Amino acid sequence: MPLGVNVHAGARMLRSAAFRLAVIQALLFALIALTLFLVSWFAARHYIENQLRQTITDEFSEVIAHPPAQRAASIQRSLAQVPRGVYDYSLFDARRSLVVGDILEEPVAGWSTIEQHEGLRGGKDAARRILVYGATQDDGSMLVVGRDLASVDELDALLKQVFTWAGLAAVVLALAGGMVTAGGYLRRVEAIAEAASRIAAGDLAARVLITGRGDEFDRLAVSLNSMLERIQSLVEGLRQVSNDIAHDLRTPLTHMRQRLEAAMEEATSVESYSKACARALADADSVLDTFAALLRIAKVEARQRLEGFADVALSALLERLVDDYRPVMEDEGRAFNVAITTGVHIHGDALLLTQMLVNVLENALHHTEPGTPISVKLDAIGHGSQLVIEDAGRGIPARERSRVLKRFVRLDAARSTPGSGLGLSLVAAVADLHGIALTLGDAAPGLRVQLDFPHRQDA
Amino acid sequence: MRILLVEDDIDTRTYVSSGLRAKGHAVDESGDGHDGLLRASEHDYDVIVLDRMLPALDGMSVLKKLRSCGTQARVLMLTALGDVDARIDGMEAGADDYLGKPFALSELIARLNAISRRSAHANTMTTLRVGELELDLIAQRVSRAGKPIHLQPREWDLLKYFALHAGEVVTRSMLLEHVWGFQSSPHTNLVDTHVCRLRSKIERDFFGPRIIRTVRGEGYTLSMKQGH
Repeated sequence: MPLGVNVHAGARMLRSAAFRLAVIQALLFALIALTLFLVSWFAARHYIENQLRQTITDEFSEVIAHPPAQRAASIQRSLAQVPRGVYDYSLFDARRSLVVGDILEEPVAGWSTIEQHEGLRGGKDAARRILVYGATQDDGSMLVVGRDLASVDELDALLKQVFTWAGLAAVVLALAGGMVTAGGYLRRVEAIAEAASRIAAGDLAARVLITGRGDEFDRLAVSLNSMLERIQSLVEGLRQVSNDIAHDLRTPLTHMRQRLEAAMEEATSVESYSKACARALADADSVLDTFAALLRIAKVEARQRLEGFADVALSALLERLVDDYRPVMEDEGRAFNVAITTGVHIHGDALLLTQMLVNVLENALHHTEPGTPISVKLDAIGHGSQLVIEDAGRGIPARERSRVLKRFVRLDAARSTPGSGLGLSLVAAVADLHGIALTLGDAAPGLRVQLDFPHRQDA
Repeated sequence: MRILLVEDDIDTRTYVSSGLRAKGHAVDESGDGHDGLLRASEHDYDVIVLDRMLPALDGMSVLKKLRSCGTQARVLMLTALGDVDARIDGMEAGADDYLGKPFALSELIARLNAISRRSAHANTMTTLRVGELELDLIAQRVSRAGKPIHLQPREWDLLKYFALHAGEVVTRSMLLEHVWGFQSSPHTNLVDTHVCRLRSKIERDFFGPRIIRTVRGEGYTLSMKQGH
């Protein structure tokens, strides 16, 4: 139903704020045109009337220049001229009766406008408007000179016509311009509204179209889109984590259930009962550990950067950690190569940084065979510092490296070993909080974890 | 020990109180913060087990009020799963230890023993003696039967913690928290490795019984008495 759509769109246009503005604009235009017309009309009229009066006064002076006795004759002559002059003359005697002339009724002295019906003129019954000037003479007679106002009236009519059309055109143009502008604005706003309703309906990938004109709508679209980008990644993260939690917790819970069920059916002695209970307990603990790790990551992610940060002596912290792990390395027959530049300080949370480094070391210990060398190297580079922890194990394939930082991601090779797949997620979260660039690379062979600490801003 | 248990969850409260009673302690129970505060100020308890989330008055406020009235009872705070920051807040407010839920009863009992026997003079002591072992807390030196033993800094911290809690069960998570300052337990046997090293230094070259004994399923205990 295209008509229905058009009507609908039209109605929406009429209701739009932009259209209201266009109407107001058109009215304003009309008002300006009217004012302009009135001012020019009055000015033009005034000018022409003044000209007219000037010529009448001149003619009057000419007639009055004749001696009183010859005035009637002079008027007679002027009226008898062919073609007839533009002036009307009349002379009334002291008794107010017409002596000679074509102005039939004696006007008041001074300037006045009279109307005179002359059925014969131009073949139709037209009332002439005449501007007249009359002055009473010393002998009591009155001399009147006048001139037809037709030219002024014609100009008047012309002006009125011109300004009416021009005014109408201005209003129509203003309205049309307003409609076009309103339509343009309406389309842009509706594109945004449409994207918003698509998102509300569940299509999180919907974005506002950017026209590339770089105007305020484009800027609005860009900031809306970046907001949508963030929301989408958060929502998808949430969805992913919910799925992962459900998936990862189902396994230990299922095991626990099976063990308890089996114990109820098959266990015959106190010893076998307590054995089943111990294993169920271990399953429950692993679920709880996973929850605790998730909550810890969530807490780190929710924290504002710099909140509770202080100066941390990174070199000293790392030295202590290395000393703590050296016996573990030795017991497992690993070469532990350590090179720590002293005096490196950063701005951060010592507890979280410790936790992060423990997780990186634990990750290396956990995923490589005993006897595999591990190295730790801290360097001051430029204004920042760089920590590289490498193992000579199997490493992580390049395409998996960004994935393993996500929650619950465990590579197939690691499936058989215990672990929640949350260790490196916490590392990523703490690094992100501190503005540390975390890069997983190839130690050829093995995993290279590179942490680039930002330039320390003195607190 | 006379213990006040302030916990609003009935299941947890019953489980903990019956466990503590089974170990021979006298336990009073309270279900909310106001009542807990009232009981704590009316009676002298050795230890108060205080849940952080309580109806009427939260655990942290109860603790602050108790400390402001000068109550000397030891306080162990219980907090929700994964609430790491609570530990720091709780310690600042005057708690003697902190335990995250869920916990094993043996862990709670070990920690209650540890804080209840903690000497009031621990901060002013200069030497600690456990049997033949002598710890010079100022110079950070240790000797057994007069023979000096060289320890790494972390081994010293570990031995000092054991010595301060001599004769008590010390769990792995207590060691991780109080000696290492870690908030979550690593997968590796960091604690066992260090305990093993410490043992070799203080036991290997000497005649006599083991000083640090493993308590199966719970942790370790430092003792000079002839044991099983």
